[in-house]
Amino acid sequence: MSFLWASALLFALGVYGVLTRRTAILVFLSIELMLNAANLSLVGFARAHGLEGQVAALMVIAIAAAEVAVGLGLIVAIFRHRESTAVDDLSELRG
Amino acid sequence: MSLWEGLAVALLLLSGALVVTLRNAIHAALALILNFLVLAGVYVALDARFLGFIQIIVYAGAIVVLFLFVIMLLFAAQGEVGFDPLVRSRPLAALLALGVAGALLSGLGGLKLALGKDLQGGLPQALGPLLYGDWLLVLLAVGFLLMAATVVAVALVQPSRPLDALRPEERAKEVAR
Repeated sequence: MSFLWASALLFALGVYGVLTRRTAILVFLSIELMLNAANLSLVGFARAHGLEGQVAALMVIAIAAAEVAVGLGLIVAIFRHRESTAVDDLSELRG
Repeated sequence: MSLWEGLAVALLLLSGALVVTLRNAIHAALALILNFLVLAGVYVALDARFLGFIQIIVYAGAIVVLFLFVIMLLFAAQGEVGFDPLVRSRPLAALLALGVAGALLSGLGGLKLALGKDLQGGLPQALGPLLYGDWLLVLLAVGFLLMAATVVAVALVQPSRPLDALRPEERAKEVAR
């Protein structure tokens, strides 16, 4: 049960990171933290409801990998155009 | 709560706090690796051995290394220096995060979990029939998503014109980027 509490606190830490970070890469790191908090609670619930929770966590890991590939590609592409990845500078997408 | 459990939870929260507070991006990514390694240990302790190994191989081994690679590629290690427009909104962000934590914890407070399902150690032999049975469609969809993401990532970082079509000095500039 204590790990479910830990996962809730980890998720809140990720929320704080997403709200306060100024560089897109560090915002992404905080999102990874939130995804892992969700995974931790899925694994915790699997002990009460069966293996499906673990299978769902596997899917979350795969989706996180896809998200990181696209996100980091976007960050590299934006950096080429703007010489910056600060999220405050990116209030509009027009080149 | 046993000693190991408490130690793992403390390490998880400490490394998570470091991820969201350290200014140097490389240090934050290294703290994230520590978080993932502890998480893998927790998964093994929670009867999810296959997931624990995948956590180390895929997350700590591939995803965070990709992060480190991009941080170094963009010279973004000292990413957060200079004027900080967020100073005044930081307490607000902390308040919101506390609200989220409170909502989640109050939800967990009233929860009664009947533990003790047989998870067969969370080994691949147990997960395989599920993955290729009830979850087959989801597995295929995720595979398709991964392939699409790979194609998009490659397309995003392509130079705007093929290298062959550029003049020599332009080509040198494009390669240097």
